[in-house]
Amino acid sequence: MSDPRPPQPQPDALTKAYWEACRRGSLEVSACEDCGHLFLPPGPCCPQCWSMQLGVRPVSGRGHVFSFTIYRRTYHPGMPEPYVVALVQLDEGPRLISNIVGCEPEEVSVDMPVRVRFEDVGDFKLPRFERAVDGGGTS
Amino acid sequence: MTRRAVISGVGHTDFGKLEGRSPWHLEAEAAAAAVADAGLQPSDVDGLLTDPGPSQGILDGITPHFLRMGAQLGLDPDYAGSEILGGAGSVAIVERAALAVEAGLCDVCLCIYGDSPLSSPGSFDYARGDESAFGFFGAAGLHALATRRHMHRFGTRFEHLGEVAVAARAHGARTPHAQKRKPISMDDYLASGQLVEPLRKLDCCLVSDGAAAVLVTTAERARDLRTPAVRILGHAQAHSLSTYATPEHFDRLPAARCGPRALGAAGLGAKDIDVALLYDCFTIVVLLQLEDYGFCKQGESGPFVEGGRIGPAGSLPVNPSGGLLAEGYGSGMLHVIEAVRQLRGETGDRQVAGAETALVSGHGLGMNTHATLVLGS
Repeated sequence: MSDPRPPQPQPDALTKAYWEACRRGSLEVSACEDCGHLFLPPGPCCPQCWSMQLGVRPVSGRGHVFSFTIYRRTYHPGMPEPYVVALVQLDEGPRLISNIVGCEPEEVSVDMPVRVRFEDVGDFKLPRFERAVDGGGTS
Repeated sequence: MTRRAVISGVGHTDFGKLEGRSPWHLEAEAAAAAVADAGLQPSDVDGLLTDPGPSQGILDGITPHFLRMGAQLGLDPDYAGSEILGGAGSVAIVERAALAVEAGLCDVCLCIYGDSPLSSPGSFDYARGDESAFGFFGAAGLHALATRRHMHRFGTRFEHLGEVAVAARAHGARTPHAQKRKPISMDDYLASGQLVEPLRKLDCCLVSDGAAAVLVTTAERARDLRTPAVRILGHAQAHSLSTYATPEHFDRLPAARCGPRALGAAGLGAKDIDVALLYDCFTIVVLLQLEDYGFCKQGESGPFVEGGRIGPAGSLPVNPSGGLLAEGYGSGMLHVIEAVRQLRGETGDRQVAGAETALVSGHGLGMNTHATLVLGS
């Protein structure tokens, strides 16, 4: 009875625009129009100055691995082990949880430069990351 | 005259797989044990605070846990509530009970934790919204990120995490009610399977059915009770709710903020603590707390725990009852209870000689919440 598909994002009023941008192949973070703070995940106000004047800003999709873990246990039939979950630090500041793909899990390291790559999963395009060979952010 | 809060009664059930008994049965048993320990009657209880476990929380979509608990215990208290702070909840409700008692809102406040995730519906596997689309499940994932950071920044090795696991089991072997009483070796630890790398199975706490309760009252009221009062010398909380946005999240715990405040209120430093009851949902959390509470410098917890320093024969015994890694998953209330028993000097084979001060911590949710108690005999 278990659903073989991985869990899907559940867009709501706060995150709908983010996922629609992903569907267009664009990584867009929330931007405060008052103080300029860039942040993820999208929220009702700027978490720095509480302004509600918010927009979005497309970012480069480049960053580095802040930390990562290799799942050696299958929690969901749609996500067979092994796979890498990483906290990615974008060059523009925000961080997000994602996967590192396109290499063996053992090749991933903290501080490794990465760039976004959108992958079709069900009805979504998920922003995942791969090694950026030509450099990206470093810590 | 100033009202000073003390702990005068403790009690708990067995911990492990306890089939056929609901969390309510377990919580009622723990409550009765704590009241009996103090030599009080149920009718003396005029405060009720609860820390519902992960499989309870809000009931029927609306009923707060304390409401049904109070109904089942037949209580009409002057002060009541539930705290949902994950693993910091139990330490936090003892702190809240102390504040309420000292403010005169109630005189005898019963603090209860209980849950039965092994035998009742519920789950420890939580994912936060859209992060589950990336396969980020469970508390282990978050703590694995913290572990990787520590290894990367400070050269912490698997053997350092293993020292925490081995010490916990060595402590548990001396605790009659512990869920895991068989010691393990470093080889056993290193041979245990990787789950959410770099965390192995033996880095992760137990999952347990069970309940634990603590009675907080005034020093004056405690004078003629059955057991010696344990003083609440200091307490504080700090939280890190902005999570990934905080520069130091995963590198420091909120303990670095509330630890000095709790110790300062007690007029003590880390060096003055005889026995440390550190929340240990994962081995890395013990290492981080040793640094954040000032038992050692940041980055030096790995070398600090080498050679069994936090084990039964070590200079800083941590969790002498075995903690969440060996005694049982008691959310943090078992840590409070073990501190009380150590300070009363009633723990037999595992007694820390001359224990007069204890530090107890709670740590919860996605490394978000933290609470500290400093207790004295």
